[in-house]
Amino acid sequence: MHKALLAAACLAVIAVPARAQDVVLGAVLPLSGASATLGDDQRRGIELAVEQINEGGGVLGGRKLRVIVEDSGGRAPSALDAAKKLVTVDKVPAVIGEYSSGITIPIGQYLVQEGKVHVNIGSSSGRIRALGDGAFSVIGLDNVSSGFAADDVIAQGWKTAAFIAPNNAYGQGVAEQFQKALKERGGEVVSTVLYTEGQTTYRRELQQLERGRPDVYVYSAYGKEAATINREAFELGLNSTPWYAIYLSMCTTDADPKFVQGQYGLDLNNIGPDGKSYEEAYRKKYGENFRTSFNGYGYDSVKLLAAAIDKAGSAEPAAITKALKEIGNGYQGATGDITFDADRQRSKQPYLRLKIEDGTKQR
Amino acid sequence: MVQFLVDVLIRAVDLALIAIGLSSVYSLIRFPNVALVQYATTGALLALALQMAGLPLLAAGIVACLMVGALAVLLNLMVFERLLRAGSAIAMIGSLALSMVFSAIFLVTAGPRAQRFELDIAPPLRFLGARVTEHQLIAAAISAVAIAGFALILFRTDLGRCMRATATNSVLARATGIDTRKVTGTVVFLSGVMAALGGIGIAVKGEMSVHLGLDMLLPVFAAAILGGLGNALGAAVGALVIAMAETLVTNVNFGPIFGQSLLFIPAAYATAASFLLLVIVLLARPYGLFVSEVKRV
Repeated sequence: MHKALLAAACLAVIAVPARAQDVVLGAVLPLSGASATLGDDQRRGIELAVEQINEGGGVLGGRKLRVIVEDSGGRAPSALDAAKKLVTVDKVPAVIGEYSSGITIPIGQYLVQEGKVHVNIGSSSGRIRALGDGAFSVIGLDNVSSGFAADDVIAQGWKTAAFIAPNNAYGQGVAEQFQKALKERGGEVVSTVLYTEGQTTYRRELQQLERGRPDVYVYSAYGKEAATINREAFELGLNSTPWYAIYLSMCTTDADPKFVQGQYGLDLNNIGPDGKSYEEAYRKKYGENFRTSFNGYGYDSVKLLAAAIDKAGSAEPAAITKALKEIGNGYQGATGDITFDADRQRSKQPYLRLKIEDGTKQR
Repeated sequence: MVQFLVDVLIRAVDLALIAIGLSSVYSLIRFPNVALVQYATTGALLALALQMAGLPLLAAGIVACLMVGALAVLLNLMVFERLLRAGSAIAMIGSLALSMVFSAIFLVTAGPRAQRFELDIAPPLRFLGARVTEHQLIAAAISAVAIAGFALILFRTDLGRCMRATATNSVLARATGIDTRKVTGTVVFLSGVMAALGGIGIAVKGEMSVHLGLDMLLPVFAAAILGGLGNALGAAVGALVIAMAETLVTNVNFGPIFGQSLLFIPAAYATAASFLLLVIVLLARPYGLFVSEVKRV
């Protein structure tokens, strides 16, 4: 017994410095649940960045970079547990994630409270702005995308819109912003439905929505839920009216192409001028084109954090925060120019106008 | 209006099959089996697994129904018969525990993701302004045939007479030479088959998750209680009433009252409406809409 303890103690002493060689970061992503496809794509971006950094000699003068990815299951409680594990067990200075705003906000709050760095790579609720010092976003928030969507809808000649989104921080935010933006431009949202997440049918919600007899259905929904909504809209014959998706790749990545044919939408212009080499590396490693438009933000977040750690010469949260603020000013990432505003949110976010016609095409 | 009726009917047949099974088993062994809704999920998951293994959907459905029927009989012999000796409340709590075990097994075997049968989806058929899909029509027709078949068995066959006799007074039935255990076994088997058929019907129309059964638990119980627990065909009417309440509540436009053009109650609250109805009906008629052949314990 004593020998075993002694051996364990020796091992611990030997093991600790060996582990300290690596600089370890954390990520909480939805690898299962409704957004699993998107979460896995975010993971790919992170994976690629880590590989490239380590091939290029790692960080802090030759130490290897490692990112521990935890599954959130698309649920806030599991995501919080995962973030707590990363902070208390793995002792990471920074955590990347999640995808859905309703989950990003609580883990962001927890990380800020713990004095760690949080990097949002997929959520766009306006409430993320208020998370506090230490929380960064490398993706543009709702106020920007809603205005863009409203401009686009009006430009297509549609006056009335019916709006459906999930009943969470993201959906509530975008519903409010879009309604306001469309009204300012002379249009009107005639019916708004916020659906409960994780159901197997949205027939009733869609039937409520169609009562407004809109010129266009505007929606934003997570992968698998969007697939259900698209199928049921097809089964109800609602697809004879145009559909407009806010974040088209999020809304259609899991859908049968038959049901989303002819849909309009906006998406993140996720490839900046310097993004071509990233796009090629992704295609080479995974043997396909981008699954969604969200992987690049995962990639950029890791690259930014690594650059900040190198600049600060330390992997301490406070030093990283300070360095991130300095680097995030005209930083040329794969997703374009990353410049943080005073609230540490990405201030410039280009979007694309898209339409699905036998594959996604730019309009 | 036609669309409203179609929606009510589609929802009603979903509920009716399981509610009838629940009510008829109750009439014989005097306890509401919570695990019955999980038999529906089991049926749907088995049918899906069999279809993936290469069986045509029809064959997969029939095999799955029979397997679930057998499972229901097995569980009745191994678990519920023993628990019932300690009382019907114990048996009901036992069935709740069993349904939690089912949930855990589904999560491990089928996983948390929603799944679908491999079926082609066609644009809806238009019928007097209402839209119905082929799958909805087929599922509703099969359920209607199953309900009619069960009614025929109950009222036109010897087995049905034995069932009704056992339900009314099992001691007397045994004294007149009816093998009440065999009758109970048959009804339990049929309830399993109907629950599985109900589950498959729901899955064919859309998606199924491991929560399919538990999501049905409250409306199915409401339907069975509304129809008078123990009254099998009352449960079918109960299902219709619950379906109507749910559909009505999400379809009524409350906008004009509040000075808006459109304002609906969120669809997630549909179940709450059916419960409000249940409470009101039970206050007026404590034994349900139709006085059952047996008084409840």
